[in-house]
Amino acid sequence: MDGHTQETEPQHAHHAPRTPEEEFLRRKFSKFYEKSRLNVLRPESREFGFGGWEKKIEFRHIRVKNEEELRTRLVNEAPLYISHSVAYYEYPDARPMVKKNWLSADLVFDLDAAEHSCGKFTCQHCMEKVKEEARQLIEEFLLPDFGFSKGELSVNFSGSRGYHVHVRSEAVSTLDREARREIADYVTGTGLLFDRLFWKEGKKFFGPKPTDGGFGGKFARAFMKRLEDEEFALSISRKLKKPEEKAKLLSAIQAGNYDNIGIANREEKLQEKFSQMKLTLAGRIDSNVTADTSKLIRMADSIHGGSGFAAKSVSSLDSFEPMRDAPIFNEGEQKVKVTEAVPVLVIKEHSFGPFSVGTTATLPLACAIYLLCKKAAILA
Amino acid sequence: MADLLFCSRYPFTSQAKDYVTQSGLELTFSLVEKAEQRVTNALVSGKVKRVAELPEAREEELAIYAGARMIVSSAANRYIINRYAVAEAKRAGEYLASDDASNAEYVALVAGEFGVKFEKKGKDFLVPLAAYLSFTPRSMDYKLTNREVEKGFVLVSRHERIRMLEEAVKKKIEESLPIRAKFSEDIAEAGKRMLSLIPKIEVATVSVGQENYPPCVKKMLEDLALSINLPHTARVALAIYLVSVGVPTDRIVDYFRHAPDFSEKTTRYQVEHIRTRKYNMPSCSTMDSYGICIAECRCGTPLRYRDAIHGARLRRIASEKKD
Repeated sequence: MDGHTQETEPQHAHHAPRTPEEEFLRRKFSKFYEKSRLNVLRPESREFGFGGWEKKIEFRHIRVKNEEELRTRLVNEAPLYISHSVAYYEYPDARPMVKKNWLSADLVFDLDAAEHSCGKFTCQHCMEKVKEEARQLIEEFLLPDFGFSKGELSVNFSGSRGYHVHVRSEAVSTLDREARREIADYVTGTGLLFDRLFWKEGKKFFGPKPTDGGFGGKFARAFMKRLEDEEFALSISRKLKKPEEKAKLLSAIQAGNYDNIGIANREEKLQEKFSQMKLTLAGRIDSNVTADTSKLIRMADSIHGGSGFAAKSVSSLDSFEPMRDAPIFNEGEQKVKVTEAVPVLVIKEHSFGPFSVGTTATLPLACAIYLLCKKAAILA
Repeated sequence: MADLLFCSRYPFTSQAKDYVTQSGLELTFSLVEKAEQRVTNALVSGKVKRVAELPEAREEELAIYAGARMIVSSAANRYIINRYAVAEAKRAGEYLASDDASNAEYVALVAGEFGVKFEKKGKDFLVPLAAYLSFTPRSMDYKLTNREVEKGFVLVSRHERIRMLEEAVKKKIEESLPIRAKFSEDIAEAGKRMLSLIPKIEVATVSVGQENYPPCVKKMLEDLALSINLPHTARVALAIYLVSVGVPTDRIVDYFRHAPDFSEKTTRYQVEHIRTRKYNMPSCSTMDSYGICIAECRCGTPLRYRDAIHGARLRRIASEKKD
């Protein structure tokens, strides 16, 4: 199958000459890859994709025989972005895709702050939010619902504004796109219907118990918790001001019997609360990534060329601080000229900015590389 | 000692296969006739008849099943294979439903055939997540989102469990056919006769005469005509392509008519939506990552296939060769 590499377009063909900034970054990255940990399971069965100044994936269908060959290529070519397939193939370099002979794939979840992002530069608030979403994905879906063990999960910072969660579990490794789409839909609550969680038997009205699995149980538990809030309770019925009425409702939920809760228009009220609450119960992931069984995803612990940060493996989300833990070029300084307004930023312990266009500054290397990667500065 | 009753009801199981191999069952002329009848029923009415299960007929039933598979294989046509598999799965589903009441160990045995173990919970059953996703039909009724999912298991009702096994049987039969072998004259003849049972309209749609469509589009049209379920991304790509090359909505809807889950209203709405919103054709590399690229045409986007084949690109390659 080696013939396939020859079929791919000649690499480095029609290429614009590299800018000094790109050359500078590639030299730094190359140096880093000489000794860095290459965190990729079964590299020989993955398709790799390398990116440059213009595109995050410039060349794909790349195959390496082993970790050593991967290292050699990273040191020699110093790509600005390194991705590998979530899939394991028999012939990772074959084209078209069907000829690769797909064997199995990790199940991956991509969380990105882009959805509530406020601009080009990394924002503390957004980073906190997406970290919380990653924690929710793991603690409310992957462990309790899907039953994965902690050992089957590995989490890494994306290197930019999000997190990737890789699930390596034989139980789900051969699931096809459609099945993975179902998993993604489950996490995002897509297709969640009130009528499926609540039902009537004759005149009786039943619904989920807090001990139930799935979104039913999630709703029942969240609903009971929300009822502690006086304002929320009263928005359902004035009667819930009385402790005995509230206790009656709570025990009805416990039993999954919503019949006798003494609330006028109980169905409409419940439906209304359900619609309000379902969004907070669902996770926010990029479903297309999860469903794509041949997705190329950032290699954990490689450098993200859009920030100069490592796509760092995270052992504990709670204690991980991207702006503190992900920068890698922590020694030295570099003089740069700012080409785009930069707000106050904190990388490691260094606070810098704000800078207006045209400012020249000598910055700690990690900060300078960050601005160069963001294309907000040039070498000075 | 093989359980012949079990084998005759569930002839796709490994136990049944072993029995057939060991006993050296022979396909006599009359059995080939019966096998042909079995396939014919599947194709025409969508059903394989259940027959009276006299002990002496059980072996025969196994031989007929083997013969039917050979006939289907000899015809070597996806439409026939899929329709036959659906009918066999229905037959198995009926047996499973009745065995569930009287012969529960049979149900467990069939489930075991697919590596699935159902655990009882109250009057329902727990099934491992992966098995649930692999063997439930893609429909709103089985949407995982509305299911009780806990610790890697999904709760299903007694009836749904049987329905899942039916789906598993269908998949297994679909995937195991066609058998690649040289068949005897009478089997081959029967296979040929089966081809004439394919509804005419299907054949007509396959040969749409769109020689200039790229291979991926042709393949999707063929799959649709054969009632092969296309994933959502493929359907969208196909519709965008057809809209882009100027095929009218009515015609596009007709192409989708054979999709197993066809709904005229939804299809029409979606095609119109694509038309008014002017969706962009996915590039070849996107098509490839969807898993629907089947050739290396090097045209960048399926829309440029005609140019690529007949026009500028060929000329350029020719001039490059001269250099």
